[in-house]
Amino acid sequence: MTVWIERMARRGPGAVTALQALALALPLAAMFAERGTAMVPVLVTALATALLWEAAFAVVRKHPVTFHGLTTALIVAIMLPAETSLWQVSLAMTLGIVIGELIFGGRGFGFLSAAAVSLALLTISFPQAQLAVPGTSIAIATLPGAALLLAFGLVPWRVLVATPVAMVLMMLASGAVPAIVPVLASLVFGLIFLICDPVASASTGPGRWATGLLAGLLIFLFNAGETMTVLPGAIVSAAVLASVFAPLADHLAMLANTAIRRRRHG
Amino acid sequence: MAALFRHVTSPLIDNNPVTLQILGICSALAVTTSLATAITMSIALTVVLCLSSGIISAIRHHIPPVIRLIVQITIISSLVIVIDEFLRAYAFEISRELSIFVGLIVTNCLVLGRAEAFAMRNPVVPSVLDGLGNGLGYSLILVVVGSIRELLGAGTLLGYVILPTVENGGWFEPLSLMQLAPSAFFIIGLLIWAIRTRWTKQIEAPKFALKQRQARS
Repeated sequence: MTVWIERMARRGPGAVTALQALALALPLAAMFAERGTAMVPVLVTALATALLWEAAFAVVRKHPVTFHGLTTALIVAIMLPAETSLWQVSLAMTLGIVIGELIFGGRGFGFLSAAAVSLALLTISFPQAQLAVPGTSIAIATLPGAALLLAFGLVPWRVLVATPVAMVLMMLASGAVPAIVPVLASLVFGLIFLICDPVASASTGPGRWATGLLAGLLIFLFNAGETMTVLPGAIVSAAVLASVFAPLADHLAMLANTAIRRRRHG
Repeated sequence: MAALFRHVTSPLIDNNPVTLQILGICSALAVTTSLATAITMSIALTVVLCLSSGIISAIRHHIPPVIRLIVQITIISSLVIVIDEFLRAYAFEISRELSIFVGLIVTNCLVLGRAEAFAMRNPVVPSVLDGLGNGLGYSLILVVVGSIRELLGAGTLLGYVILPTVENGGWFEPLSLMQLAPSAFFIIGLLIWAIRTRWTKQIEAPKFALKQRQARS
């Protein structure tokens, strides 16, 4: 196993994207089972927009062509209902992938998840646009992929633990009794693919705990007192905000670590 | 003559106060939701900037260095009060939309920045021209951002319908993001990107660079 991880790590961001795409295959199938072939236009639009922009940037910047937009498009398509108008999908993908990722130099150079930025800008730009509430089959289909990503270290387990714990604790503290199973089922896809995005989440241990807790707290706040399910919009907004704070959390963690080591070693 | 004219042209793009010096951003975010407010604000700021630069430059030898900032602010705020009263008298509706932002020209870093950096060290005519140039540079960005935001956010320009919206039986679905402050950040960011792609001299050296790997011998 460790040999495999090392091999994958040496292959860089391309391997990460390949593994994420593999993890997304089952949720994608579950999405088609849930919502039918009406999703094909949305998926095709998202894929075409993402890959077109990535190719355009690769040509202009004289980089090798990459296919990271694949996972962004898959995540966005799974989070959108079939009724979303296609030009809105295309616009959201354009803004998200250009402003959230390509401007910084591509996957791995930025600090945001392009999919989360796309979805956040879509909901802000078009208040009438809704995000899809993932059903139980998508939630179940996410689990094998989550295990795969976790095994390869592509999902920070601290965030994975901290976010739902913080969210459920906040719900309990607000005096409500949350329906744990439906709440976790509606959370799991966004948690794995938006909040635990390896680019967007913090990279130090304490930083991951902190941003995970922050994301859980924010989901509770954005969820508008709902304790029976988690609204997809709440997950998206929390993911974007938590990833904005991730570099700060990392910086503070590093400062604290330097101070501790200086005191210990003089 | 050409050298004087340079004071007006250089802040338009080469040394633009908003996109190169990143000054005056907060008012650029707040007043650009529609083109009319952006233009009014641009005119107000340009007038204040010209007059304050001229006055400060005229009395620059008499300002004691220790209290120069206080003197500058006093001059600028007097001018701003005049402009604010003028707008209330002759353009009440727009002055209500601009609310406190005309008053906040006092604290606009651009005005104080030019007073401190240019008017305190230069004769009156170049100072006024420098104020005019910087005011126009600021106005240029405000008008561009205001046009984009009003057109995409409401489908109108100066209140005239350009893109008929769905609500009024047209086809255009307004982007409500454009009515929110973050969109001005995006647009200014993209403008800076475009300008620095065309005028590559403006690109700053990166603060952090990847180390070049040493060639193995």
